[in-house]
Amino acid sequence: MNPIPIIVDCDPGIDDTIALLAAFVSPELNILGITPVCGNQPLERTVRNALQVCELGGRTDIPVYAGCFRPMLREPIHGQFHGSTGLGHTTLPEPKKTVETMSAVDFLLEAFGAAAEKGERITLCCLGPLTNVAVALRMKPQLVDGIERIVMMGGAYREPGNRTMTSEFNVLADPHAAHVVFSSGVPIVALALDATHQVMLRPEHVAEFFRVSGRISETLAALMAFWDRNDVRRYGSRGGPLHDPLVIAYLLAPDLFQTEKAHIFVEYESELCMGQTIADWYGKSGQAPNADIVTKVDADGVIALFLERLGRYAEKAAA
Amino acid sequence: MSLHKVIIDADPGVDDAAAILMALASPEIEVLGLTIVAGNVALEHSVANACKLIGLSGRLDVPVHAGAGGPLLRDQVYGTYARIGSFDDTLVKPGSVVPAKENAIQFIVRSARAAIAVGEQITLCAIGPMTNIALALIQHPDVARGIRQIVAMGGAFTALGHRTPWAEFNIYADPHAADIVLQSGVPVVLMPLDVTFQALFTTDHFERFRAGGEAGAALYTLFSTFDRSDEQRFGRPGGPIHDAMTIAWLVRPDLFTSRETFVGVQVTGLTKGYTYADFYKKLDRSANATVVTDVDETGFIELLIERIARHGDTAPDRKTQGVSRA
Repeated sequence: MNPIPIIVDCDPGIDDTIALLAAFVSPELNILGITPVCGNQPLERTVRNALQVCELGGRTDIPVYAGCFRPMLREPIHGQFHGSTGLGHTTLPEPKKTVETMSAVDFLLEAFGAAAEKGERITLCCLGPLTNVAVALRMKPQLVDGIERIVMMGGAYREPGNRTMTSEFNVLADPHAAHVVFSSGVPIVALALDATHQVMLRPEHVAEFFRVSGRISETLAALMAFWDRNDVRRYGSRGGPLHDPLVIAYLLAPDLFQTEKAHIFVEYESELCMGQTIADWYGKSGQAPNADIVTKVDADGVIALFLERLGRYAEKAAA
Repeated sequence: MSLHKVIIDADPGVDDAAAILMALASPEIEVLGLTIVAGNVALEHSVANACKLIGLSGRLDVPVHAGAGGPLLRDQVYGTYARIGSFDDTLVKPGSVVPAKENAIQFIVRSARAAIAVGEQITLCAIGPMTNIALALIQHPDVARGIRQIVAMGGAFTALGHRTPWAEFNIYADPHAADIVLQSGVPVVLMPLDVTFQALFTTDHFERFRAGGEAGAALYTLFSTFDRSDEQRFGRPGGPIHDAMTIAWLVRPDLFTSRETFVGVQVTGLTKGYTYADFYKKLDRSANATVVTDVDETGFIELLIERIARHGDTAPDRKTQGVSRA
């Protein structure tokens, strides 16, 4: 079977890093490029972290393109659970790999434009604020013809927000961009907090990842340990929700996920509810569904999948 | 010697046509390119119209770049004369100019970066909705540093709106883009309706455009066909040529009076597109714009007519101006 061509738009970020490391060792996925954006960290940092993660994972062959340095309209906000560098206490070597000259937006224009011309489609994995994607879509709406679908981590539907009472970080960081994407007509698979809070990466899991993941085990376990929210009242257990990696898990093992179709709206005008995502579960809006929203996840299956994938770093000593 | 290296970001559009032709005939201005946006008319039409104007002017060295086909967030609105669509061949004769392959936003980014490299900033004349410029500013932090100023036709303060009771068209058509531009830190010179309404062109003035060769004749036809007068509003005959004032400001700033102030844009709700100027310092915000408040009406009218007439001048030095640069 031919691998699925994907572009990973992200803001690494600890959970982005886990997602990328799993994708790197998955032959089902052909990663055409990584496009970091301003998000969990300022752009300079997310780019640098992406380069370092490529080196850690032995995938310096994947080009990294720097994205937008700010959200469309709002002041930048950054993540609260990633430490001052975006990678917790982990210090990775100064990257030798360099960022491409072409910008992320120009790369998206070129890659999806070329795909559309050839009648092909690329899957876009979105792990951060959607600024790069929105700007590209506004520059060239015909890009939608080259996008198979967007599989995104972001939003909160029946679950409350994680950055404000109503809003999940990626959507809150650039709600205008989210609106552009949700109204673009591109098919969307939405992995919101409703899904990601079902998959807690608990301390006992971290110990297992440390045991299996070979040459990246120390770095991986340190990142995962830093990710522990230590908030049993909210999450029902120790550990941290496995937000961004679920996008990769969905591509590799869709059977582990249940979805419901709905039209997604995003609030980008009210200060109180800025960035809130609303799903029209019961057809109140008269709008046809624009997304498959993940409602249920086989958490044990996802953890087992990632243990198997990240275990490949033990086999691939040469990588 | 050109004083200003300029990209004209436009949505032609009848008064855009006057601004573009004026700039192309002004030695003070080196037009680096036209970047086109949807606004007065849909993008395919504004691009086609820009190409026709370049063809008429004979300045084939000036590239036309197609940009955004709609506003950042709001629903698309078009100008009052949207039915113009592409300039009819009987009004403006067709030519052979085609748009460049490079997107308008990429062209703005590349030009701004080149300007930084040579230490000579560029000016953007924004005479349509500011979508293209906003999309360039969002992407790269260095773009703003390559731009000396954005001279924009937009906004309405004491004059009230012309598209809604509150809003001027260019801002109303993409208020979010205007907000991004005004908050970008790039110096903005704003030419609002308050000043564009002060200079009214009558049929006698249009008649004098005909001295400007094919370009002048086309302009005469366009303004004669699409009447912009509003005697009830202006209290006298004639209509404004809004966009050309941005070019006049670069050529003859002495014709204008202005004030430094903070300008904000209402981006949501009933009054979206409303612009407010903090003339009396009620807000604790530092100035982000030079708002032009008054114009020497006769001075501006005569300047525009004189520049359009230069298109009738067949002296080879004008026709080839810029070609050696390309």
